[in-house]
Amino acid sequence: MAEMIVADKGGKGGKKRAKKQSTRVDLTAMVDMAFLLLTFFILATTFNKPKAMEVNKPAKDENEKKEDLPAIKQSKTYNIMMGKNDMLYCYVGSDDDPNVKVDSTFFSRSGLRSLIKDRQRAVAQKWGNQDELFILIKPLPDSKFRNMVDVLDEMAITGVKRYAIIDDFNEIDELIIKQSGNRKPDAIKTANVVVPSSK
Amino acid sequence: MPKVKIPRKSTAVDMTAMCDVAFLLLTFFILTTRFRPQEIAQINIPASTAQIPVPDKNIMSIQIDPKGNVYFGVDDQFTREKLLFAIKERFNLPAFNEKQVKEFKLVEIFGFPLEQMGQFLGTKPEERSKFPQPGIPISEEKNQLIDLILLARQANPELRIAIKADKLTSYEDVNAVIQTLQKQKVNKFNLITTGRSASSDKE
Repeated sequence: MAEMIVADKGGKGGKKRAKKQSTRVDLTAMVDMAFLLLTFFILATTFNKPKAMEVNKPAKDENEKKEDLPAIKQSKTYNIMMGKNDMLYCYVGSDDDPNVKVDSTFFSRSGLRSLIKDRQRAVAQKWGNQDELFILIKPLPDSKFRNMVDVLDEMAITGVKRYAIIDDFNEIDELIIKQSGNRKPDAIKTANVVVPSSK
Repeated sequence: MPKVKIPRKSTAVDMTAMCDVAFLLLTFFILTTRFRPQEIAQINIPASTAQIPVPDKNIMSIQIDPKGNVYFGVDDQFTREKLLFAIKERFNLPAFNEKQVKEFKLVEIFGFPLEQMGQFLGTKPEERSKFPQPGIPISEEKNQLIDLILLARQANPELRIAIKADKLTSYEDVNAVIQTLQKQKVNKFNLITTGRSASSDKE
């Protein structure tokens, strides 16, 4: 086929020239096909592979008594609640002082991250090691899945070793829920145990 | 005379290099491609700095869309076949014929009450995308996800669990699935997120 076309185009040159060129194959069709397939594969492919974030939830044991679990000193903890509209409510619980200062913040470097860093420093000052910090993550039902991933991610970024996702709330939490206009989860879904995820 | 002929020939471009490049790229894409999985609900996954890639094999994936509908799928055809028979036993469904079993082996993900399984597999493949998929029931009164998790894990004990939820799925809906998993003594699972560069985010 290719020979024929070349011969037609250069027809005036005579048969000798046509024979010389005959080793040349017209690659246009082949290139067309290659690009067609290429387009198909580019469109069909998924580029960035999704990443997995591993979560370990504490094993639930109905027989286990809550008193068996060692209590954590409030001064080592930090509470982060996720509410609706991407809001965060953070506070430090206290063993004796009923007055609690609640920071409401957003997900940002100057927001949540700097609060966690401040808390890490405070814990390091008091207990000598910032890894003593224990973060209690309390997502409210109206918070988004994105918020949960973001907070867990923030734990990884700031290097917090001990944290747990918790589904039951104390009096302070309930007050915050009420004040911020969030709602409490339905009673059925709340039964959960408080144990840190190992990381 | 020869001088006249040379400019005439010049319209023919040498395609060899272009052809080479095209095939090179084609080869690259063929080798690296992993086909986009079936989607029954559009799910925009959140971003995180997690670095662990999602494993390729032995995945049980539970998808939750922003409305809280739950979809379920297992990745390998052999497991799917075993799962289908287990579902039939568990829910006393009429026996599936060979064609339906074959069809189910190609279903990557589904979300409807399991009683409708026969009906779903009976519909023609081209009409299947229109089959209503309101999600697998996970309410307190009727929780079929809990059975699916058990049956799938019996079919393939090595299954790992991946939860793929939309950014905007409320925590309540995600938690309902997590609670269901925990009822089956599954305390370890993966949340599927898309990558985000850690370096730009870290201080």
